[in-house]
Amino acid sequence: MAEANGKRFHTRHLIFLLMAIAVVLPLIFKPGLPLRVTKEVQDIYDYIEGLPEESVVIISFDHEASSLPEMVPMAEALLRHCFRKNLKVCGMALLAEGTSVGDANLRRIGAEYNKEYGEDYIFWGFRPQHEVAILALGEDITREFKTDYTGRPISGFPIMQGLRNYQNVAAVISVGDGDIPIYWVNYAQARYGVNIIPAITAVMATTMYPFLQSEQIVGLAAGLKGAAEYEKLLNRTGLATRGMDAQSTAHVLIIVLIAIGNIIMFRQRGGKRS
Amino acid sequence: MDISTTIAAILTLAIYSFLYRDNPVYKTAEHILLGVSVGYFVVITISNTIIPKLIIPLFVDGELIYIIPALLGIAMLLRVTKQFSHISRIPLALIIGVGAGIAIPAYMQAHLIAQMKATMLPLSNISNIVIIIAVLSVLVYFFFSRKHEGAFGVTAKAGIYFLMIFFGSTFGYTVMARISLLIGRIQFLLGDWLGIIR
Repeated sequence: MAEANGKRFHTRHLIFLLMAIAVVLPLIFKPGLPLRVTKEVQDIYDYIEGLPEESVVIISFDHEASSLPEMVPMAEALLRHCFRKNLKVCGMALLAEGTSVGDANLRRIGAEYNKEYGEDYIFWGFRPQHEVAILALGEDITREFKTDYTGRPISGFPIMQGLRNYQNVAAVISVGDGDIPIYWVNYAQARYGVNIIPAITAVMATTMYPFLQSEQIVGLAAGLKGAAEYEKLLNRTGLATRGMDAQSTAHVLIIVLIAIGNIIMFRQRGGKRS
Repeated sequence: MDISTTIAAILTLAIYSFLYRDNPVYKTAEHILLGVSVGYFVVITISNTIIPKLIIPLFVDGELIYIIPALLGIAMLLRVTKQFSHISRIPLALIIGVGAGIAIPAYMQAHLIAQMKATMLPLSNISNIVIIIAVLSVLVYFFFSRKHEGAFGVTAKAGIYFLMIFFGSTFGYTVMARISLLIGRIQFLLGDWLGIIR
């Protein structure tokens, strides 16, 4: 099986093919497998749901383009919830590639809910050196971001009236694909006591769980599954929900492949011993 | 379907062609990605950081204090020259000093104190008992000044098992993340590009 066709077709090619089938078929036929909402995601939903109208929420797009399939559904679901609740949303980015994605997301979802730029939401733009940027927002936001993403002075926008620092912010949502949500915990939560909501890639989930257990974060939405759970809470079928069937079938395939691999290994070991 | 969607779809397929074997089409797409990423980063940094945080305050608002960070920035760039590269140690030392000064207390507070506090739990339910046993046994495993034998060795062994469970769950989440990326691309190809799925 190692080489089915000279040196052109290897076992890994068969695995790639099976994986493609396992992902494509559920996307086309949509079997609608059940999805359960976990407590971590429910906690985020309940927290945002419980905020008074007009509360200010910062959403930081701390991700790169390579993780968009996980990050965009997550950001969309959280933004929809914020706008539905009539919260004031301030966008920013601590990674360069998240900048234009964040700006586009804010404008698109804001338009869905007829929100006005500058009054209901704003996009401050990108800042490098996350530690310094996070700490600076705790002192004076208008000093760190004198202008918005488009270069207009932010102090002139209605949304910025009375918004000075973290004391006026209900929560920071970090939509991040790396360890930047941890920086938010280190510098914004530990020093200023801000409520942090990490919306992260699945890879980062186990890194963030200790902060959940120590109650340093409000909840945890991880990966496409976290986004799908959030979509379910919003009663809205989005990209994440549609992708979850494919996720489940792909996981079943991987479990089967691991089992087959182990059976082959044990049989080979047995053969060598005999 | 607009032209940008088709370009993105072709580049996606070019990258996936690596699954068969390394080839010039893949290499071309990879180089485009690198070039675009660097170009984008440079533009965003100039427009969102250097202009509003240095050029405008210094040359428009006339705040002369900004000469200091400007000089430090230039000193950092001297790193590429052989003759003056030693000057770059000044801003570098400042970054390291300030960075460590900011990071150490924050890290102590967020990671050490808060996590220790979260581990001091009443032994009133199974979860708390598991957390305490796991933390203690893993700490014992990482204590190398005593030979891992007897009761100490058994505890260390338990620590290894807890670590293995952690590695397993991390691997599971990693698989989930990678599959999500594949799903995202296939949703793009079949939905946005070909319009087969909605």
